[in-house]
Amino acid sequence: MRIFQFSILNFQFPILTALIIRPILREKTRTVLTILGIAVGVSVVVAIQLANQSALRAFRESVDAIAGRANYQLVPDIAPLDESVLLRLQPLWADGVRFAPVIDVEGLMGGADVSSASGGGRDVRPPEPIRLLAVDLLSDLHFREYRYARIESGGQAISPDQDRRDRLSSTFALFRSDALILPAPFARERGLAIGSRVTLNILGRRSTLVVRGLLEAEGPATAFNGSIAVCDISTAQRNFGMLGKLSRVDLLVPEGKDIRVDLPPGTRIERPSRRNERVEKMLRAFRVNLFALAGVALLVGMFLVYNTVLISILRRRRDVGVLKTVGVAPRQIFAAFLGEGLLFGVVGSALGIVLGVLLASAILRVVGRTINTLYVASRPEAVQLTPGVIAIGVAVGTLLSLLSAIQPALEASRVRPNAMIRPGLQQRVAHPLRLALFAMACFVAGALVSRMPPVGGIAVAGYIAVLLVVAGFSLLAPAIVRATSRLFAPLLERAFGIIGRLAAVSLPASLRRTSIAGAALSLATGMMVAVALMVGSFRETVRIWVDQTVSSDLWLRPSKGLSNAQVALFPPHVADELEKVPFIAEVDRVRGKDVLYGDTIIALGSGEFDVAARRGDLPMVKRSSRDALLDALRMNGVVVSESFAIKFGKRVGDVIELQARTFPITGIYRDYSNDRGVVVMDRGLYVRSFGDDRINTIVVYLKPGVDKNRARIALEKQFGPKHGAFVVMNEEIRNEVMTIFDQTFLITYALLGVAIVVAVMGIINTLSALILERTHELALLRVTGVSARELRTMIVLESSLLGLASTIAGLVMGYALSWILIHVINKQSFGWTIDFHTPVALIAASLATTFIAAALAGLAPARLAARIDIAAALKSE
Amino acid sequence: MKIALRNVSHDYGSSDESAAVHVLDGVSLDIASGDFAVLMGASGSGKSTLLNLIGAVDRPTSGQVFLGDVETSALDETRLTGLRRASIGFVFQFFNLIPTLNVFENVSFPLSLARRPKSEIAERVADVLQRVGLAHRATHFPNELSGGEMQRVAIGRAIVHRPPLLLADEPTGNLDSKNGAMILDLIREVHGALRPTVVMATHSDRAAAYGDYVVRLTDGRIEN
Repeated sequence: MRIFQFSILNFQFPILTALIIRPILREKTRTVLTILGIAVGVSVVVAIQLANQSALRAFRESVDAIAGRANYQLVPDIAPLDESVLLRLQPLWADGVRFAPVIDVEGLMGGADVSSASGGGRDVRPPEPIRLLAVDLLSDLHFREYRYARIESGGQAISPDQDRRDRLSSTFALFRSDALILPAPFARERGLAIGSRVTLNILGRRSTLVVRGLLEAEGPATAFNGSIAVCDISTAQRNFGMLGKLSRVDLLVPEGKDIRVDLPPGTRIERPSRRNERVEKMLRAFRVNLFALAGVALLVGMFLVYNTVLISILRRRRDVGVLKTVGVAPRQIFAAFLGEGLLFGVVGSALGIVLGVLLASAILRVVGRTINTLYVASRPEAVQLTPGVIAIGVAVGTLLSLLSAIQPALEASRVRPNAMIRPGLQQRVAHPLRLALFAMACFVAGALVSRMPPVGGIAVAGYIAVLLVVAGFSLLAPAIVRATSRLFAPLLERAFGIIGRLAAVSLPASLRRTSIAGAALSLATGMMVAVALMVGSFRETVRIWVDQTVSSDLWLRPSKGLSNAQVALFPPHVADELEKVPFIAEVDRVRGKDVLYGDTIIALGSGEFDVAARRGDLPMVKRSSRDALLDALRMNGVVVSESFAIKFGKRVGDVIELQARTFPITGIYRDYSNDRGVVVMDRGLYVRSFGDDRINTIVVYLKPGVDKNRARIALEKQFGPKHGAFVVMNEEIRNEVMTIFDQTFLITYALLGVAIVVAVMGIINTLSALILERTHELALLRVTGVSARELRTMIVLESSLLGLASTIAGLVMGYALSWILIHVINKQSFGWTIDFHTPVALIAASLATTFIAAALAGLAPARLAARIDIAAALKSE
Repeated sequence: MKIALRNVSHDYGSSDESAAVHVLDGVSLDIASGDFAVLMGASGSGKSTLLNLIGAVDRPTSGQVFLGDVETSALDETRLTGLRRASIGFVFQFFNLIPTLNVFENVSFPLSLARRPKSEIAERVADVLQRVGLAHRATHFPNELSGGEMQRVAIGRAIVHRPPLLLADEPTGNLDSKNGAMILDLIREVHGALRPTVVMATHSDRAAAYGDYVVRLTDGRIEN
């Protein structure tokens, strides 16, 4: 016989064929289940990575498209920037530096007044978010490419290439004070054409402009998925109350040139990419959290590989024994079983990547929505599989499979040949007591580690503590399976007779295999329970917080949904008009926007502190709400959110600096609306300090006895068409917050569901393997008079017991993990204090699902057991 | 329980890939109730297959098998299971005890399966353990017993429900001569005391001497 050899491993093909390839092909179900387990784990990681990447890429590409050729930008910490800054840049012109003033703001399009070019009926579409890029259309050509598809000329649309003589004259239309340029595809999708009138609500000013140019989908016209409008800077300044103001100045600095310029306070010159980096930093904790969850599915998959390789070894111990007897070296046995792990890893990873791409589009929708609502406007398109993601998928799946195979492969290589051949060999399990001691060590280490501080804003210690707790419970798995079996043996015997007893004693008899399947399922259950507890606690905390915070009667907003809250603004006179309404007692003008604090994006907010002190009850961490707000009014101070205080290490009495102004902190309040940190000051102080008098939301308090619904109707009538205002009841706000909350955590549950599916596959796999291994024993039972139905009952009872043991362990583990999630990971990642609440129904449902799934997992192996050919099985001994 | 086989044939492994192996070929046989019959023949002669057909573990490819007045070859799986549970006791070469149950539980297994009252089980098992000489080992597990002891437990399990038919497939094949003789004595004694029909497959002449008569099988046929 010709023997092929691998030179490195001195690895002979016949060994691989005998020990691995043929059994894999023969035991198709087990092979498929294992590969699927890995594939599902890998797919989740790949999908999360793809979705995250796409969400960020969409943002990054938009920033790049808008930045054009600019290699530096002069940006304010708190927008807007005074136009006079251009004078300071003037001396740089001689050094070859070019600069372009830019207004780059988000706003809303449509709603009240969009009409088609033909002057047809009004468009009743709700307002949609749009980016407005206003530049000096002439000088901006240094920075950005604008290719016009159509430009208005003498009331007609012409193509710029159609008639070159008209080209120059036609561009004049773009400089008219009401001229707007839209990307052609964007306009087409909305039925807009040259001459269409479009109402924009930018920075609280509503203005109707006319589409006078259409851009090809290139350069800036591709930013934000094409939801962008371009106009001349003077048009924007005049129409949207930005006279003398800019968002930033784009700079084109010759390479190697050092720019020195005397900048006004609160401004900086930086690379455009800094903006991406800051956004990425802002999203980091959110992304790491998603990855950690995907990791659970993968970890469960890892258990599956470990279990499969171990079962392979146990099932093929005779073959291993025979091979060793005829002189096969231990390292060859080791390599063969490692090869099995590798094979599962490679095939599982490849399949996982394919599944991941399919899954990513679904996840992207959810992740994109969350990022949009909670962090930054980004309109991700399609997912894009990059070599990097493929590499991550393959590396993760293959390495983890290989890693899981090492221990069982090593064990196979070490066992003496005769021990393997001897029938009836009991599987060696380390003494449960010794394992329990190791488990205790893990728990103690986990408790110690969890006290460590975060690293770069990431709760590394928290994640390590989670791993240690998981390791501890995995070590306890044999003891838990054994104890549960013993505990329930009498009950099962009473209910099912000798069949029940057999089920109870069979499980601990193959502890080595069953406890691994059990550990995988308890890990999945544990994470499910932990997340249910964490999310449930968080939800209840937020619900109480919203009830406490949203205490007013009505809200007046320029946009219906909370997701556009930042971009939709009112001019100040709307509130003044509102105050004159007879049934309104008082109003609170609320303003909030993202600003730079140091190099971090935070939210700066303002409200009327005297009203809030009188009416509201801000949930405070330190001091009473009234004292903190009145002190802030008296001392020109601010209250900051808990996440801000934790992130920047600030306490009451400390001072913060914003745009070269200092503000003392007079209170710390709880805020679950964002995790980047919020600084809130009285509106008077805010307007004085930053010259921004716009309003995001007007909180309305009605006079006693006024009917809320009637007031709402009256206000909508008076302010709706005139100011594009929406009147929202406080219940609607509460419901909206809870809906956003539930959407945000939807993906969390989906990921854990995947982990449960993988774990259940593990149980099917283990039990099926056990059936194959116990064929003779089961045949014997059949000979002795056990019916096929009784045998099926026995197997389902075994899987139910395993499910029960895992559920109990998962419940305890879940409580331990939720403590770490709530008090370490959440606190360190997001800076939120969450009060512990047990969502009883959710936990009960999770546990019931796991248990039922595990019990049902026994059905397939049970059928297998009932179909055993008794005569053949007896003959094989 | 009387046994009758009429023109029984049995094939193994008939599939697209391989030709069928004819294990039994037109076997007809009558064993009277209470007989101790011994099946003898070389390895592969069809002894175990014949025993499996008699024991309602397998069905013939053709022909009829009767246990008492019942044609077992015509019964469905559920009835076959019921028949095995109530009327047949098996003893195998490799003892085939249930490793997770102790001696008492192994012996009591058929009674537990039939859901007999606990007091009856305790009484009968004690009696059987006494008979097979293992009363002192009742709480031990199979892996704590010697080969001879394991086979005695197997006999105990096979007779505890007093089946009218006891089948033994090479019961001494895995034992030394001393233990082998002890097991054969025990089977003989059980036969004498309880009068079940006993069919024992063996290739040992010494073992065959314990039976009332010998049926010889060669290449799936009964020698005249």
